[in-house]
Amino acid sequence: MRLSRFKDKDLVLSLAEKITIKAQNLDLVRIMHVCGTHENSIMRYALRDLLPENIKLLAGPGCPVCVTSSKDIDAIINYGIKNDCIIATFGDMLRVKGSHHSLLSASRVGLSVKMIYSIQEAIEYAKKTTKEVIFFSVGFETTAAPTASIIKNVNLPENLAFFSVHKYTPNGVLELLKSGRLNINALILPGHASIVSGLRPYEKVSFDFKLPCVAAGFEPVDVLAAILMILEQIESNTSKVENEYERLLNYDGNKLAQKAINEVFDIVDSIWRGLGTIKNSGFEFKTKYDFLNAKVKFDIQFSDEFIEEHKGCRCAEVILGIVEPIQCPMYAKLCNPQNPIGPCMVSDEGTCRNWLEVKGEI
Amino acid sequence: MKFNSITMDHGSGGKLTLELIEDVFKAEAKLDSAILGDIAFTTDSHSIKPIFFKGGDIGKLAVCGTINDLLCVGAKPMYLSSAFIIEEGFLIEDLEKIAQSMRYTANQAHVDIVCGDTKVVEASKGFYINTSGIGKIVRPIDGTNIKPGDQIIVTGNIGEHGFAILNERENLQVSSNLQSDCSELSSLILPLIESDLDILWMRDPTRGGIAMCLNELCYKKDFGVEIFEELIPMSQEVVSISEMLGIEPYYSANEGKMVIVASKQDASKVLDILQKNPFGKNAAIIGNITENHPSKVLLRLSYGTKRLLNMPIVEKMPRIC
Repeated sequence: MRLSRFKDKDLVLSLAEKITIKAQNLDLVRIMHVCGTHENSIMRYALRDLLPENIKLLAGPGCPVCVTSSKDIDAIINYGIKNDCIIATFGDMLRVKGSHHSLLSASRVGLSVKMIYSIQEAIEYAKKTTKEVIFFSVGFETTAAPTASIIKNVNLPENLAFFSVHKYTPNGVLELLKSGRLNINALILPGHASIVSGLRPYEKVSFDFKLPCVAAGFEPVDVLAAILMILEQIESNTSKVENEYERLLNYDGNKLAQKAINEVFDIVDSIWRGLGTIKNSGFEFKTKYDFLNAKVKFDIQFSDEFIEEHKGCRCAEVILGIVEPIQCPMYAKLCNPQNPIGPCMVSDEGTCRNWLEVKGEI
Repeated sequence: MKFNSITMDHGSGGKLTLELIEDVFKAEAKLDSAILGDIAFTTDSHSIKPIFFKGGDIGKLAVCGTINDLLCVGAKPMYLSSAFIIEEGFLIEDLEKIAQSMRYTANQAHVDIVCGDTKVVEASKGFYINTSGIGKIVRPIDGTNIKPGDQIIVTGNIGEHGFAILNERENLQVSSNLQSDCSELSSLILPLIESDLDILWMRDPTRGGIAMCLNELCYKKDFGVEIFEELIPMSQEVVSISEMLGIEPYYSANEGKMVIVASKQDASKVLDILQKNPFGKNAAIIGNITENHPSKVLLRLSYGTKRLLNMPIVEKMPRIC
């Protein structure tokens, strides 16, 4: 049997049955996850089809490239085109459109870009060139931690600088809840990102908003088990933080990674695309790292005139769980993976792209 | 969406490649080889990084690719041409290895390389091989009589070439045992062509993997394809790398596999013949042709749920987290 036990058919079906039985005594339950990999798994295994009608699974702001602001994309493109340097970043990031260009489309008008798979590769690449290399460093805690650790521990080539657009998930979620924009009854917490942050930062989320919160892994059994744990909390009228992903996720997180992040980054206000500025939700380099912070080192200019949502795009509502991708008039038509107008159509982590891959052009 | 210029995705073998063939070349992407009376004729250009990879090299790939394309239409491969475009500075030693590999592979398949051409271009312009091939039609297999109920067979574990190359090219170091399945399939496929078994369509699922191949099977047709997750053969290596990269094996290229459509009554006999050959030992019936959802490929998951397996639109990229 090649399916691992976290994909086990009998276990999946028995969990689905337990969820269905428990849901009979409940009203509508809106459960949001905040990780693109969860949405990928949910779509890939069509897990929503195993749930009763009153259990709604919503995809929140969990795709790092989707929440990267046009302001940052525009700034790096403008700088990169005018100066002899190379912008290195992950493949997904290349296709996300800023106000006018994506990094990829800008590469056709003079921007030098290099797709890399890891920060290590960016370092190796920088060693081989005499040009300045700027690593456009995107992602939640999951990628902020290795960035911080490498900056602390590795001798970096002098021609490598970093442009941080890292985001901090727990505060992002907390502030969105405070703003009243999330209409949800429970949260599935991100497995990977929480391995770094641990689950303590979510205790405030759970307590203040009386939200059952369960951290989950990414296999079908993980997702369904987390839903069942959430329903059990709702049934017993409790709200606490629980950990379904114990095999990899420590409740206190990875202390070493947290230490590295705290030494390298300050937590700052940050623009999440489509959602506006969110208090204390981004990672920026501490001033002692000015020498490798591209924004400071190269005095990169930011414009306050930038376009986050192209006309007709409903990505912001999609990542708040207000509309489904298919409710966007541009879905699969004007906006498609070849020409993504909104950021959610770009990456396999993006909700719209995920839907298009498995539901097609509805 | 119309493009002003060619992007890498136009060459990825996916939807954009099809659009290019239809809109610009004003041609129809129908079969892997042209059927000209008793003759099958095909051509294929090859570029790959790295040029030498686990399980093969660009020379072997170029010979296998064209031989397999001839087999697809029911032909016995006979003659190949080989044209090289070589960048200045390319090592003669490497060229010798590639030529040796081509001779060896062609000999294995009892195919003669009968003509060729060599062009040298400036340094850093790359290394390319084009092979054209002629085969003798044993019986034409052109997909004309496909009907609902026909069975879909894949001749072995899927996804190995694509992941092996990605692993090596990008130095992902996630898997040491994985190697390309690059092979010519004449010993596996000729017995089927020469039998009287009811074989209706064949294609080697190269770029875009079985997802692309099955989408092409029902592209603009009045039938659809239904496959079952649990039946699709794949190695544990492929499953692991797929999960690490976030790319499904259905989209990963194969260079030594065939997807076969056979009638319901003959499918198990076809399977028997395949499984007796080392190249076909993991062969399996993975699904069927259906009159439901025309032009679409449906993947039935083991949990009883279902989803589309769409034509790959842009090249799949490894995810960030």
